[in-house]
Amino acid sequence: MTEQRVYIVDDDEAMRDSLAWLVESQGFDVTAYDSAEAFLTACRDDMAGCLVLDVRMPGMSGLELYERLNARHCTLPVVFITGHGDVPMAVAALKKGAVDFIEKPFGDQDMLRLIRQCLERDREDRDRRRQEAAVARRLESITGREREVMELVIAGKLNKQIADALNISIKTVEVHRARIMEKMGVRSVAELVQAVMSRRQQ
Amino acid sequence: MTSDAPIASQRNWFWNAPYFAVGLFAVAMLALVWGLQKRESDLQNDALGRDVRWAEQTMRLHMQGAQDHLVQLSRELAEGTLDRGGFQVRATQYIANNPELASIVWVDAGHIIRWTAPFETTEWIAGEALAGPQPQVFIRAHESGRPTYGEAYVNHRGTATVELYVPVQRGRAYLGAIVGVYSVEGMVRHLVPGWFADKYRLSIIGADGRMLAVNSTVTPADESISYAIDLDPPGNGVMLRAVAFRSDSGLARFVPALLIVGLTLVVVWSLWALRTHFQRRVQVEKERDRLFNLSLDMLGIVSLDGTFRRVNPAFERILGHASAALVGRPLLDFVHPDDTAATVGALRRLAAGEPASFENRCRSADGRYLWLLWSLNPVLEEQLLYAVAHDITGRREDEEKLKSAYAFRKAMGESLVTGLRAIDLEGRIIFVNPAFCRMIGWSEQELIGIKPPFPYWPPEAAASLQRDLDLTLAGQAPAGGFEMRIQRRDGERFDVRMYISPLIDSSGRQLGWMASMNDITEPKRARAELEAAHERFVAVLDGLDTAVYVADVATDEILYANRAFKNLYGFDAVGRNCWQVTRACCPERGDFGADPRRLSLEQLPREIFDGEIQHALSGRWHHLRDRAIRWVDGRVVRMEIATDITDRKRMEEAALQHQERLEQTSRLITMGEMASSLAHELNQPLSAIANYCMGCVNRLASGEYRREDILTAMQKASAQAERAGKIIRRMREFVKKSEPNRAPVVLAEIVDDAVGFAEIDARKAGVAIRVDIPADLPPVFADRIMIEQVVLNLVKNGIEAMQQARSFERELTVTAKPDGERTVGVAVADRGTGIDAGNAEQLFVPFFTTKPEGMGMGLNICRSIIEYHGGRLWAQPNPGGGSVFRFTLPIRSGGEASRGERATGREP
Repeated sequence: MTEQRVYIVDDDEAMRDSLAWLVESQGFDVTAYDSAEAFLTACRDDMAGCLVLDVRMPGMSGLELYERLNARHCTLPVVFITGHGDVPMAVAALKKGAVDFIEKPFGDQDMLRLIRQCLERDREDRDRRRQEAAVARRLESITGREREVMELVIAGKLNKQIADALNISIKTVEVHRARIMEKMGVRSVAELVQAVMSRRQQ
Repeated sequence: MTSDAPIASQRNWFWNAPYFAVGLFAVAMLALVWGLQKRESDLQNDALGRDVRWAEQTMRLHMQGAQDHLVQLSRELAEGTLDRGGFQVRATQYIANNPELASIVWVDAGHIIRWTAPFETTEWIAGEALAGPQPQVFIRAHESGRPTYGEAYVNHRGTATVELYVPVQRGRAYLGAIVGVYSVEGMVRHLVPGWFADKYRLSIIGADGRMLAVNSTVTPADESISYAIDLDPPGNGVMLRAVAFRSDSGLARFVPALLIVGLTLVVVWSLWALRTHFQRRVQVEKERDRLFNLSLDMLGIVSLDGTFRRVNPAFERILGHASAALVGRPLLDFVHPDDTAATVGALRRLAAGEPASFENRCRSADGRYLWLLWSLNPVLEEQLLYAVAHDITGRREDEEKLKSAYAFRKAMGESLVTGLRAIDLEGRIIFVNPAFCRMIGWSEQELIGIKPPFPYWPPEAAASLQRDLDLTLAGQAPAGGFEMRIQRRDGERFDVRMYISPLIDSSGRQLGWMASMNDITEPKRARAELEAAHERFVAVLDGLDTAVYVADVATDEILYANRAFKNLYGFDAVGRNCWQVTRACCPERGDFGADPRRLSLEQLPREIFDGEIQHALSGRWHHLRDRAIRWVDGRVVRMEIATDITDRKRMEEAALQHQERLEQTSRLITMGEMASSLAHELNQPLSAIANYCMGCVNRLASGEYRREDILTAMQKASAQAERAGKIIRRMREFVKKSEPNRAPVVLAEIVDDAVGFAEIDARKAGVAIRVDIPADLPPVFADRIMIEQVVLNLVKNGIEAMQQARSFERELTVTAKPDGERTVGVAVADRGTGIDAGNAEQLFVPFFTTKPEGMGMGLNICRSIIEYHGGRLWAQPNPGGGSVFRFTLPIRSGGEASRGERATGREP
């Protein structure tokens, strides 16, 4: 797992430099880019951290960059820096699911707080995706009969009912059930339901 | 006819030429004949002369021969060899051979006749002496000694005689003479051949002119051809004369001349006859032409295919087309399109040889269509149609008029609400009209012919109605008519008024009485409706908010006032003096467009006042309109309509104030916008400074820092503070100026400043700004700040317009160049979205904007500023996409430059 890093994209050199200076003072790793194009070139899927993005830039704007990243399924959380009068643009950005925006001039603490939130969210996202991957992997290891039993368990049926439905003994149902719990790495039916449903929703 | 005289003289010449030629021919022929005859007679004369000379010669020869014989005898006698017997024999023999000799005689010297021969002659008797002229000749012969002829004479027997005395001499002795006696007649008869006598009448004429002998008893009638010649011997003036018998008679000679004259006369007569005949023909033709030309009907000759060959003037008179225009054109060209088919059919029938008669419409020269009745007769051998057309438009129109008049009368009769009923002198109904039938409900068939009492008389009123009828029949009906109540078929009673008038036919005879009957139930209803209408009218007028009153212009008495007026001025207004009542709010009499008291009825209606007046007491505004109108009873009155416009006026004033306020604050607003924009620009350096500072603070607080890093950051923060200072300085300069201050300024500086302001926006929008201003551009005479504001506004607009453009196209150019001698043109071109056709017109209208947050004042103010400077500002599409805003500024200082620019610069 790569270290989290704050990526700053701003065309104004003073702004970029000063922001990097500020963020570094809190001990974050910072990489600054002077244009959206430059960031796109450097962008990789396994980047972790967050993106601080100026909305207005010559060439590709911040919003355009964000759309491109979305298209690439890049999940980096973004903080937009907007100027006065850019409110409609900021609203558009929010609608598209950006994490947050901050209006210039901003206080350092506000900016740092947003960055921390973003990093936290990024971390959570990554954990969740990792768990989901694990659930998927486990679901694949479940056999046909076990799957039938699992469906009925999720549907809230009792062991007896499951045995009747599948025309097997209660004992067998219990064995299957224990194996499913084991394979899925869950301790309760509730966890099982949550894991399967979250998988199905994707 | 004006050309008659020359034509007549020409015609005379034509007619006289043959006569002249014939006369000339006759004269020439006569001259020729005369010449021929002359020549012939000359020839005859010549022949005659020749023949006569030949005859004379012959006679002379004969007489010479006789002389010689006598000389022979004389010689023999002288010698004495001749005795009496010998003489007798020889002389007698000679006389027998030469019949012209009558006798030969021997005369002795003593003038005594001795011997004679022939023996039996009685003229000369032997023994007798010579007598008469004979001795003279005898002596002459003796003296001359040569034969000598005596003069011709007529002896006692009446016979003309010539004697030849031949002397007989023996030696010197004179013995006597032998005398040859010639019968002159014998000479004529015997000395010339017989054919001569056939041709000529030969005569011998004595010296005294007496005719001695002639060879023919025939006397030629004409002695014109004659010839005379001296006959010698015998000489002594005796002449031979011949007259030719004419072989042709006088008549024959005149035959050619007579023939010529006769034939000439025949020719002349035939010419005259021809001429007379011709003139008669011409006369007839003239009459026919006159008939053709003067005919009131249109006459024409048409070929079988319907083409006009000849038309008479009636065509031109009626249809208006010149004859020349008609000839050669088909009839169908003139026929009304609706009649073409029928006309073609008729022409087809005509071509088959049937005469045809039909009606159609033909177009006249003025485009009207005339109804013509055509009657055509074909002559197939000449392939012609003889057409007669009669204008029946009048008749058609009359028919139409009659028809429509009839239809009109019928419709009128049927639509008439007045019932008409005619009765004869006995009271029998002879006529009812449909209205009458409708009124009472009985049909015409049921009513005609019936006698009173009539079915429509109600039983209860029959007596009085009978009385009225009797009065009517007696001719005593009242002029005002009868008012009566009669019944309908269904028994309903209704009131009518009946007027009676005598019914007179065209010959003046009275047929009966005509009654017109009006249902007077209807007028009663109408009166009620009128009252209702009046009430409605009053209700409407009273319902109005507008105060309306009518006053007599002469007495100023209020004749009518509606409820709104009464609310304003009191409910007792009607009848009072209008000026007193409306004192608080009325126009001055002098304000009227015309004094209503002097207006005549013809000038009405007329508006005499239209204005706004404030009510003196309430302070409310009223819009007053005064009109002079004709009142219901014919008086001239003044109507005033007063509308309360106080609220409208307030709103107008409010709108005006609002507008003024907007205009006053527009510059302020723009400045506010600029300030806001500048404040926005300050964010950049201030944020940077804050970031640097907080970065330093954080580091210093944590204690983990390097000194150089902090130093660098602080220097950067300081640079950003300077940048902010610059922005603020610009803002101060901008705000400081409130009054326009025009001076020569370098345009490039203004543009640089404006672009400097816009640079931040441009960078954010990713727009490159390119400025292209020549260094030698003359300074413009302008207010620096104002123009800077204009340029900045245009540049910002351009930048905003390019937000949607593709990044490589985001370029904004500001160019300037001299535009004429007195002005500089500046262009701000973008590659943005351009200007909608729909928005182009509104571009400079205040409060028009396409931006979500715009005020809509920018371009309007820009234009005001430029026009204040005497330039102009306009927009046009950029050929490469986007739009170009252009404005001009004057170069020269001074009022005249700006004024001049204003005059020429207004038009785009």
